Amino acid sequence: MEWASVAFYLIATVCVLSAAGVVIARSAVHSAIFLILCFLNIAATFVMLGAEFLAVVQVIVYTGAILVLVLFVLMLVDEDQLPDFHTGQPIQRISGLILGLILLLEIGAAITARSIQGATGGATPENVAAVGGNTQALGRVLYDDNLLAFIVVSLVLTVAVIGAIVLALPDRRVGINQRRGTGTINLGHPVGTDGIPLALPAVRGESPIAAATPGDLRPVAGERQIIMVRDPDAYTEVGQHDAAPDNRPLIKR
Amino acid sequence: MLDVGLDHFLFLSAILFIIGMMGVLIRRNLIVIFMCVELMTNAVNLSLVAFAWNLNSIDGQAFALFIIAVAAAEAVVGLAIIIALSRRAHTINVDEVRTLRN
Amino acid sequence: MVDNPLWVALIVGGVLMFVTLTGMAYMTWFERKVLARFQDRLGPTRTGPFGLMQPLADAVKLLGKEDLVPAAADRVVFLLAPIVIFVTAIVGVSVIPFGGAISIFGFELNLFAADVNVGALVILALGSVGVYGIVLGAFASANRFSLLGGLRAAAQVISYEVVLGLSLVGIFMLAGSLSLREILVAQQDDLIFNLFGLSISLPNWYILSQPIAFVVYLIAAVAETNRAPFDLPEAESELVAGFHTEYSGFRFSLYFLGEYINMIVISLFASTLFLGGTDGPGAASVWGLGVVYLLAKTVMFLFFYLWLRATLPRFRFDQLMGIAWKVLLPVALLNILFTAFVRLIANDEITIPAWVWIVAAVVLAGVLVLTSLNDRANRPRPSAQAGD
Repeated sequence: MEWASVAFYLIATVCVLSAAGVVIARSAVHSAIFLILCFLNIAATFVMLGAEFLAVVQVIVYTGAILVLVLFVLMLVDEDQLPDFHTGQPIQRISGLILGLILLLEIGAAITARSIQGATGGATPENVAAVGGNTQALGRVLYDDNLLAFIVVSLVLTVAVIGAIVLALPDRRVGINQRRGTGTINLGHPVGTDGIPLALPAVRGESPIAAATPGDLRPVAGERQIIMVRDPDAYTEVGQHDAAPDNRPLIKR
Repeated sequence: MLDVGLDHFLFLSAILFIIGMMGVLIRRNLIVIFMCVELMTNAVNLSLVAFAWNLNSIDGQAFALFIIAVAAAEAVVGLAIIIALSRRAHTINVDEVRTLRN
Repeated sequence: MVDNPLWVALIVGGVLMFVTLTGMAYMTWFERKVLARFQDRLGPTRTGPFGLMQPLADAVKLLGKEDLVPAAADRVVFLLAPIVIFVTAIVGVSVIPFGGAISIFGFELNLFAADVNVGALVILALGSVGVYGIVLGAFASANRFSLLGGLRAAAQVISYEVVLGLSLVGIFMLAGSLSLREILVAQQDDLIFNLFGLSISLPNWYILSQPIAFVVYLIAAVAETNRAPFDLPEAESELVAGFHTEYSGFRFSLYFLGEYINMIVISLFASTLFLGGTDGPGAASVWGLGVVYLLAKTVMFLFFYLWLRATLPRFRFDQLMGIAWKVLLPVALLNILFTAFVRLIANDEITIPAWVWIVAAVVLAGVLVLTSLNDRANRPRPSAQAGD
């Protein structure tokens, strides 16, 4: 057996195992790590197939940009708080497994039984080397034959960026003052928090968080709220705090 | 060059695609489902590049490049939707916080 | 593509790795010395002459420290994350060409580990994979400050990766290749100016034909390696120590090593792309002089890094993102447009009729006038200020 074949089987094994890890892993971050591994191995198969440029683009775009974005969102968003689309019900799981196996059998049969051989193109390894390599050959195909598609794709990217910005904009229905709180996204992920203060002791001059006993802390898992003090510019009354001598808690729930 | 031929790469691609599809059907977590969709697009890319290699044609690679670009666009929009959804799910109702103050 | 046999590539790679690690160790010494001089101090002096043994002492200290894992941490990810950044940093050296073929004992040897067809992109890709070391380490630490540092690192590296890549497109267009070796070869030609009958011959280093790209690259490279003044992910005044708050001992030193190796690789990369790499007077004839030139240029870049760190205060995070998306990105894009345009005209591939020039000039003048009018309209009136 040649070294290339050994390399292929190694890469393919890691690829399939890590892909399975994406589905099986309990935490979404572990899924993302397995997906990184899987994508890097797919890039390696691209190199084996003589597509070096595509391999690097795969690493830069998928692992370097898309998955970093996914991790970014994972840190911003508390996954448990995402709306439930009622996917992953038991019946869906079973039918998913069965459908997947059937589809795999069908595709496997199609691959082994296929008899049509497509027309061979002119990009033999010698021809590719003659124009300077894979990158140059790909550039010729992109800019000569597929120029229109290239422009359309760049348009799609632009539209997507604009769409994403519009989607992630803060809600416009609230006033400018109130938007201050919602304009920034809070860190949704509960990593590293002990909990959110339930009721804060009203000892004046003392940090409420530091004075809270563990019993005052609500565990992070339930419903969450942003605790906000008022907009600093909104303080117009004079001596509001001095006029309230009772030990009223600053924030109640 | 290789002992392994087109079929090997196609099988690898098929297995990855099926795993991704199962992930979409099985998992509940929205972000994991999103990642599985990305896995499926990658599997398709792999088969395109494998065909390009087998048929001595660069067109398959150009296709895969377009798919990567569109997938990037899809990822951007998808993640923005997830952020928007999470914002709806939180009670970021400033009025409520105001009323809690007194 | 020029190739070494596999075993030669392995040996060259091993030597490069050893040299990089030693260079990294002395980079820390260099940094301490230079920073000390900036601050009117002496820096390490006790360990050996000029404190030259300081890196060794540091290494012994770091390796001897306890390797703590926080109880709440995601253990496996926490242990693996520092290795990611270290490995991706050091692999980058393998695609840097340290010169052409030399012969040792009658044996032809190429002074690089691998001449990859897409070498320049490989370095960018490694940089973008390296950020996982930071993000995952931050995430696995189960610490709020780490998480914030990781978030910042992710946003920062994605943004500056785009700028870094776009700033190099002009060079790729001029060289017609992504291979670092071919870019190096292309810079050994002469750049001949004909000014008023006077013919000036300069080396074809891309800093001369791509000065804007060079400035953009320099700024983006500092941000890409998370160095001051863009070291927001580890800003000690805000985030304790940022993403590596929970790391100690050996794993902390891996982050540390990774950052310094990244700096060295980015500097080598910059010297190769912009400053002609191994090119210099007499480099072609004298054996080994090319490598000396390359290293001298790299040390210059490294000194620049330290200079920045000693001089500039840290940016705010919104300023950091603003610089990337509002300033550097448009400048890099305009540079690409301009380079493509000049190249087409210089190669006589297009001829531009006179009316296009006139229309372009009118449009440009119109834009300038409009923006200046707009500025004037937005400026607060002096009388209103006096009224306050």
